[in-house]
Amino acid sequence: MRYTLIAGTAAGIIAAGAMAIPASAISPSSADLYVLHAVPDTPVDVYVNGERTLDDFQPGDLAGPLDLPAGTYTVAITAADAADASSPVIGPIDLPLEANRSYTAVAHLGADGTPGANLFPNDVSNTAAGQGRLTVRHVAAAPAVDILAGGQAVVSGLANPDEAVLNLPASTVSAAVALAGTTEPVIGPADVAVTEGTNTIVYAWGSAEAGNLDLAVQTIEGLHSAPGGVNSGQAGLAADPDPAAAGWTAAAALVLVLAAGSVFALVRRQPVRSR
Amino acid sequence: MIRTTALVGLVLLLSGCAAPTVAPAPVPPVSSPGPVAPAPATTRNDIPIRTTEPRAMEAPVPPVRVRVPGVEVDVEVIPVGVRADSFMELPDYVGTAGWYRYGSGPTSDEGTTVIAAHVDSLEWGLGPFARLRDLPFGAEVLVTTQDGVEHRYLVESVVNLRKEELPVGEIFARTGPERLVLITCGGRFDREALRYSDNVLVTAVPVQ
Repeated sequence: MRYTLIAGTAAGIIAAGAMAIPASAISPSSADLYVLHAVPDTPVDVYVNGERTLDDFQPGDLAGPLDLPAGTYTVAITAADAADASSPVIGPIDLPLEANRSYTAVAHLGADGTPGANLFPNDVSNTAAGQGRLTVRHVAAAPAVDILAGGQAVVSGLANPDEAVLNLPASTVSAAVALAGTTEPVIGPADVAVTEGTNTIVYAWGSAEAGNLDLAVQTIEGLHSAPGGVNSGQAGLAADPDPAAAGWTAAAALVLVLAAGSVFALVRRQPVRSR
Repeated sequence: MIRTTALVGLVLLLSGCAAPTVAPAPVPPVSSPGPVAPAPATTRNDIPIRTTEPRAMEAPVPPVRVRVPGVEVDVEVIPVGVRADSFMELPDYVGTAGWYRYGSGPTSDEGTTVIAAHVDSLEWGLGPFARLRDLPFGAEVLVTTQDGVEHRYLVESVVNLRKEELPVGEIFARTGPERLVLITCGGRFDREALRYSDNVLVTAVPVQ
């Protein structure tokens, strides 16, 4: 049997309201914690500081965010039918959580197929207007991989349990995972939405040997920035009178007339040329 | 130098743009992405759990037309993003407006729908949005979304703001009260830079 890991929560969890808070400003005293179950086939229970926090947690599911006071939490992962945390299949491990940061604790297979857990800090800094963030994490029992977008390698040689972070114009990316140095997909291609103002975290998980490699996607929203401004005019026709420049209106009108005239001239000349 | 504020109608609702006072009905939490699995049978059922299948991009229904009957504005609206210099992208044609597609839309439960158009251009002259500054308080603005639904708003304020002082974070807010902001240019014109000093902002609030 393969079992898994996961992280959980401790006392004082405030889960529901946390989703509406901009992730870039979590709290001066607490951290956001997500928990991803990325060990195939095996539902688990997750104990945090000895308390069962996630029950019958399914592979491929994501829990959180949990708003936890900064501190270190001890997490143990047991079979889903365990009575308590005394016989964990993963852990117990300590998760040190700093204030005002976002983390995802991932229960996953190592490159050699051994179940374990890792704590990934999530980049929740603001994205530029028009851009999204794509984070790719290798948590699969598989060798190093390349991440392909539109057939091109955008990340090369990513090994378990490493990650790569890209800031990209918002778009839908056709993403695939290939063994490093190759272009034959072992996962995908799948359409991944790189949403503006969102950190889209894509996990390659599962086991190459067992043939169950897959993608899991987590999104952290609310990281957007506003545009720098709006420039919405160029001729001065709607301008207020400027006391320092009497006659500006006539000048603007003249510019317009000249511009229109040159367009007209081009239009007239064209048929002549085409003959 | 005198800074001109071309405000027609109610002149002094300056605060309306930065801090809208009309609050719509209570808003549910922001979109919870994806299906939510049933709560665990025991332990902490207040922890949200979701699946991690890749999902299509979620977006509001785009507005396709904006009408302001009081000043005879009736223009097509197309989705726009940002330019390389991070400013909001706008259609070149003065008779077409752009909706900031990364922000809220008329179908969003909260935040500001931003629709902007050039006030004029060297090629086409004055555009319809040049008349927005004449709007009185309470004027009707109608926005049609791609699904054919017409969304009705009433003007709460018309203000000129210097471009350097534009509160973009508030104008492009994706949370908070539902509202509509129409933007164009105004104020004085720099003939060398071909640039207006101000933005004209019409803030409107939804009505049933």
